[in-house]
Amino acid sequence: MGVNISAPYIYVCTRMRMRKAKLLPREEYQRMLNMSVSEITRIIGETEYKQEIDELGTIFKGIDLIEVALSWNLAKEYQKIQEITPGNLKQFTQVYLRRWDIQNVLTILRGKMQGEKPGKIKEILIPAGSLDKVILDRMLSEESSDRIIEMLKTHRMYPVLAREYPAAKESGSFSHMENELYKHLYANIIAGAKASVKGGASFLAYIQLDIDIKNVKTLFRLREDDLEEDARDMFIPGGSLSLLNFTSLNNIKDLNEFIDMIRANIRNDTLHSLLDELKGNKSSHDIEARLTRVQLEQMEKMSKRNPFSIHPILVYLEKKKYEVFNLRAIARGKESRLPADKIMKYLVI
Amino acid sequence: MAAELVVATTDLAMIQAQQAGMKAIGAGLAVGLTGIGTGIAEMGIGAAAVGAIAEDKDFFGLGLLFTVIPETIVIFGLVVGLLLLFL
Repeated sequence: MGVNISAPYIYVCTRMRMRKAKLLPREEYQRMLNMSVSEITRIIGETEYKQEIDELGTIFKGIDLIEVALSWNLAKEYQKIQEITPGNLKQFTQVYLRRWDIQNVLTILRGKMQGEKPGKIKEILIPAGSLDKVILDRMLSEESSDRIIEMLKTHRMYPVLAREYPAAKESGSFSHMENELYKHLYANIIAGAKASVKGGASFLAYIQLDIDIKNVKTLFRLREDDLEEDARDMFIPGGSLSLLNFTSLNNIKDLNEFIDMIRANIRNDTLHSLLDELKGNKSSHDIEARLTRVQLEQMEKMSKRNPFSIHPILVYLEKKKYEVFNLRAIARGKESRLPADKIMKYLVI
Repeated sequence: MAAELVVATTDLAMIQAQQAGMKAIGAGLAVGLTGIGTGIAEMGIGAAAVGAIAEDKDFFGLGLLFTVIPETIVIFGLVVGLLLLFL
């Protein structure tokens, strides 16, 4: 009897499926598109976000209330999942959630650089990774960015931060440091998943899918923007593409040839059908949302193939993240009076 | 002659006792093995049911019902055991 069908795995995977079933359906988003911000707040307050909306209702109003309630709920949900996952699955979940540490640290550093108030920065932090609320609060109360970096001395990302921060501070742009941090994270994750841990193969499959989709997104973004930046800097190693393939793909000007080359390099049926649709179709403005949908669809397939593995947990974590993104996009879009069909394009449903 | 009869009767008694013993072992195996089978089957269903109930209390009745369905296996074992012992 393998570990993959032990009772704790079945227990936690069923809980994740139940939670996934409770996520907002497509129709609910479509209804929200025709509502005002206060109506959306009321609707959200009747769902899984009730506790946060009630708690924060007296402190925040309007769009801020939605933003903070969504962030709090996401962080709470992620912490809860870390509590209930057993054994290796807990380890994988924690590894997956480490990307929030990068996001939080960068948000704090960027906020400090722009002279934002700690309270304002705190609103957008999502304490879901290994840096919890207490550590983040201590970081926020620090005035100097150097001291913030010093506080992370024991953290895994410290070597990269210490190496990249001086240059980033000088140039005023954290994008290179962000790339380096993510590369470091992915390299760490892959090394961990390959270290003959039970269930590591399924985790590795997800990570490779994630890297592939990220690289394809970067390629499309580079095509759209005609940036002169070094493409190699943005490449994340570890997926199906090699650095050589990535740079040669970036140099292809013709869209059809570009798509054919991606098809040849990445084996993924869902991605292939999206690429076929894109062929000959010049407009690719919502390509990122569509690629995200491809990733979710592929993850869903993987979770059905391995019903008692890390996959059902990851599918839920990702879908929950996109639910929060969608609600935030709708609320923000409504606040800025964008037309419904425009907001719809940004949603990942 | 009389001595031979005594030996044959003792043999018969021994064989009968052995048969009764074998029946008891068979009955024990029938109940024991089916019990293990039921346990294995209920492990997965029970874990999933508890997971579902943790998320939504309404699943209690349905979860309990599905969890006890493999009990039929051990009931069959029990019936076979009883048949062996009393028939």
